Amino acid sequence: MTCTLYEEQLSSYLDGELPLARAARLEAHLKVCPHCQAELDALGGIATRLRAASSSLRVSHDFDRRVLRAVGYWQVTGWQRPTKSYLRPLVIAALALLGMLAGVWHFFSGPFEPPPTWQPQPAAAIVAPASPNAPIPAAPQKGERRDQR
Amino acid sequence: MEDAVRTTGWSTDGRLATADDATLVAACAQRAPGSFQELLSRYRRPAITLAYQMLGDLEDAEDVAQEAFVRVFQAIPRFRGQAAFSTWLYRIVTNLCLGNRRRKKATVELDAVKEPRASDSPSRQVTEVLLTRQVLDAMAPELRAILLLRDQEGLSYTEIAEALRLPLGTVRSRLSKARMSFRQIWTELSQLGDEPS
Repeated sequence: MTCTLYEEQLSSYLDGELPLARAARLEAHLKVCPHCQAELDALGGIATRLRAASSSLRVSHDFDRRVLRAVGYWQVTGWQRPTKSYLRPLVIAALALLGMLAGVWHFFSGPFEPPPTWQPQPAAAIVAPASPNAPIPAAPQKGERRDQR
Repeated sequence: MEDAVRTTGWSTDGRLATADDATLVAACAQRAPGSFQELLSRYRRPAITLAYQMLGDLEDAEDVAQEAFVRVFQAIPRFRGQAAFSTWLYRIVTNLCLGNRRRKKATVELDAVKEPRASDSPSRQVTEVLLTRQVLDAMAPELRAILLLRDQEGLSYTEIAEALRLPLGTVRSRLSKARMSFRQIWTELSQLGDEPS
């Protein structure tokens, strides 16, 4: 049998699809024929090359959504689109944090009172004369309260 | 199987992820929530990869894969399960690709093949990937299809016969021819790339 005839069997032999008797004859030939052995090795490397050529393929992130929309999935199944499960705990945590912050602020601030300030004012502004002709009251003596006139 | 589908309810309790294909297909035929998404999740990448290797363009490949999944969703209530789901899906994808004449030529010229061939260097890996794409591009579509189903997707001869609707003997001879064709074109393109400019 020539190498050409053996080469036709290499593909089936590679996949274990060659009948046992023919596989035995081919194996005997491979031991003495480096050319056919090299062919077998080359054929066996095709699968590796094909997989390497597609290994870096990046599928679009919205592929599933496009398919579901194309088939009208939500209408056909009558099923509600599930909310994104990772959003729910985030929302709950954010609300809890806001509640805690509001509680802390309320505890430390108390009712609102403006800070007391003292500003010196002229005596005339404190007790205005009843009329332009009325005598200006004397300044209070030391130790005397103004409202004890 | 139908009882199983009814009793579990197929809510998002994680059982879908562990169900076998046949159970999932039965659930999907009854429009059970989540079942089609699980099939999508399992076969999205293989379908797109097969289409990409057939067509040479990712955008076209995703369009073909999308169309294939649409057909699956529409026809799954009538799917009898005589072949595996994967075989059925691959048949749809392959037929769509063979009907698609838009395969784009590899955009990288053979100059890329002239890079130095230090073993295990990234440039060599890139060169081999580009060369593989060019070889696929140069092959006859029918030979390309059978080669990809066997050497990339790992289908058995029987599954390929079902997917392509060919006799088993034809699968054997056509696959041998496809591998020889790949090997011959690879050698020619490699020698072309090694020639001095």
